[in-house]
Amino acid sequence: MFGLENITNHNGWAIAAVGASIVFMGLVVLCLVISQIHRLLNLWEDREKVISRFKQKPAAVKPQETAEMVYGDQRLPSVEQLIEAYKPLIEKLEEPFKLSQVFEIANENDMPHPHLSIQRLQEADVLVAQGDGTFTWNEFK
Amino acid sequence: MFDLLFQFLANTGYYLADYRNYIMLVVGCVFLYLGTAKKYEPLLLVPIGFGILVGNIPFFKGFGIGIYEPNSVLHYLYFGVTTGVYPSIVFMGLGAMTDFSSLLAQPKLMLLGAAAQMGIYFTLLGALFFGFAPKEAASIAIIGGADGPTSIFLTAKLAPHLIGPIAIAAYSYMALIPVIQPPIMRLLTTKKERLIKMPPARAVSKKELLIFPIAGVLLCCFLAPTALPLLGMLFLGNFLKECGVVNRLANTAQSAIIDTATIFLGFTVGCSTQADVFLTPKSLGIFFLGAVAFSIATASGLIFAKIMNLFLKDKINPLLGAAGVSAVPGSAREVHLMGLKEDPTNFLLMHGMACNSSGVIGSAICAGILWSFFI
Repeated sequence: MFGLENITNHNGWAIAAVGASIVFMGLVVLCLVISQIHRLLNLWEDREKVISRFKQKPAAVKPQETAEMVYGDQRLPSVEQLIEAYKPLIEKLEEPFKLSQVFEIANENDMPHPHLSIQRLQEADVLVAQGDGTFTWNEFK
Repeated sequence: MFDLLFQFLANTGYYLADYRNYIMLVVGCVFLYLGTAKKYEPLLLVPIGFGILVGNIPFFKGFGIGIYEPNSVLHYLYFGVTTGVYPSIVFMGLGAMTDFSSLLAQPKLMLLGAAAQMGIYFTLLGALFFGFAPKEAASIAIIGGADGPTSIFLTAKLAPHLIGPIAIAAYSYMALIPVIQPPIMRLLTTKKERLIKMPPARAVSKKELLIFPIAGVLLCCFLAPTALPLLGMLFLGNFLKECGVVNRLANTAQSAIIDTATIFLGFTVGCSTQADVFLTPKSLGIFFLGAVAFSIATASGLIFAKIMNLFLKDKINPLLGAAGVSAVPGSAREVHLMGLKEDPTNFLLMHGMACNSSGVIGSAICAGILWSFFI
C-alpha cells in the first residue's frame, strides 16, 4: 500500500500530530522549569532574609499603621465628639485662655490624645486664636 | 593436491565476491577517505568505514564468521547494537561531556531543539507515503533527529533488519552537515537576520548545573518512559560530571567508556552493511528519506526561529534554528561558521550548543514516543 491511503490506514496523521505535540510540550515544560531554577535557588539562598522579612513585616508595619490610625482620622473622635468632651472643661477656664491651660486640664481629666484633639479643635475653628497667644471658645460651633 | 588447492581457492574472498561486494568496498573506502582526509566526523566514519570493509569481505557461509551468523565474534559484538546497549553507553559519555550551561542561560533556545524534531514527523509521513511499514517508517523518520545512537537504538527496537542502512544514513548525513545545512540556512534566512548578534549568556551557577540533570530526567522520563535508556544515561553522565565528587567516573565515562562504545558501535554497524543485506531498493529509499528528514529538520528549526522573532523583543539569530538538530557539535559549528562569515565578530558557537543539546534531548524523547506508539 502506498500514498495517503497508507498514511491514513496506519494512523500516520494522528501519530505525527500527537508525537510532535508531546515532544514540544515536554521541551516547553523543561524550558519553563530550567528558566526558573536560578530564581528558586536565589530564593533558597536568601531564605533567611525572606523569612525574617515576613516575620518583621507585621511587627514593623502594624505599629506604624496603628500610629497612623491613632493619630489619623479613624481612632480620634470627631470634631463634634471633641466639642462635647472639651466644652465642660473649657467652661472651667476663663476666656481668653492659653492652649497650655487646655492641655493641662485635658491631662488632668485623662482625655486621650490631648495634643491632637486640641489641634483638631483649633483647625475646626472651635478654638479661635486672638492673635496674642490666647484663644477663645467659638460658641457657634 | 590440486583438488585441495582449488577447494581452498573456491573458499577465498576473490572467488566468492560479486559486484555488490566491490560497490560496498568502494563505499567503505569513501567513508575512510572522508573521515581521514576530509576530517568529516572521523570518530564515526573511520570505524564505520573500516567496518564496511570487514563486513563486505566475502566468506563461506556457515563457518560462523559473518555478523549475521550466530556464534560469530562479530555477532556477539553486534549484540550491543541490536539490544541498544551501545547507544545507551554513548549517551552516558555524551552526558558526561556536555556542558548544559549555555542552555540553562538561555532556556528559550530549547524551543529550537523542539522545532527541529518536526523533521522526524514529516519524514514519518513521507515514509508511510512511500509504502514503508509503520515500524520501518518510524525508524527511518528518526534519522531526522540527526542523532546516530538514537537512530540505532530505535531501529534496533522497531526494525532491526534496517539497522545497517539507517545507521549508515544517519552517520553519513551527520558527517555531511557542512554540505547539507549551509544551502538551507542561506535559503531560509536573509543577510540581515544572519547578522543578528546574540547577547552574551549569563553566568550559570554550579547548583543550577547540578539540578538540571535531575529535573531533566524526571520531567522527560515521566513524560516518555520509553526514552529512559537514552535520557536516563545522558543525565546520569551529566550528573557525574557536575556533582564534582566522582571525577574519576566522569572522566572514564567521557573518555574510555564512550570511546570503547563508539569503536564497537561504528565497527559493527559498518560490518552490518553486508552487500547482500544492504544493497536493496529499500536502502536507497532510506537514504533518500534520510536526506529529506535531515533537510526538513534543519528547515523547521530555522523557520521556527523566525516565528519566535515575531514575538520576541530581543531577536534571536535564526541560524541557530539549524543547530536544533542533535548533531553535536557539527551543526552548532556550522551555524557558528556561517555567522562568522557574515560578521567576523558574531560568535554563535555557545548559543548553537544550547540548541544542539536541546536537540539531543528532543530526539531521544521522539525516539521514546515513537517506540511507545509502535510497541
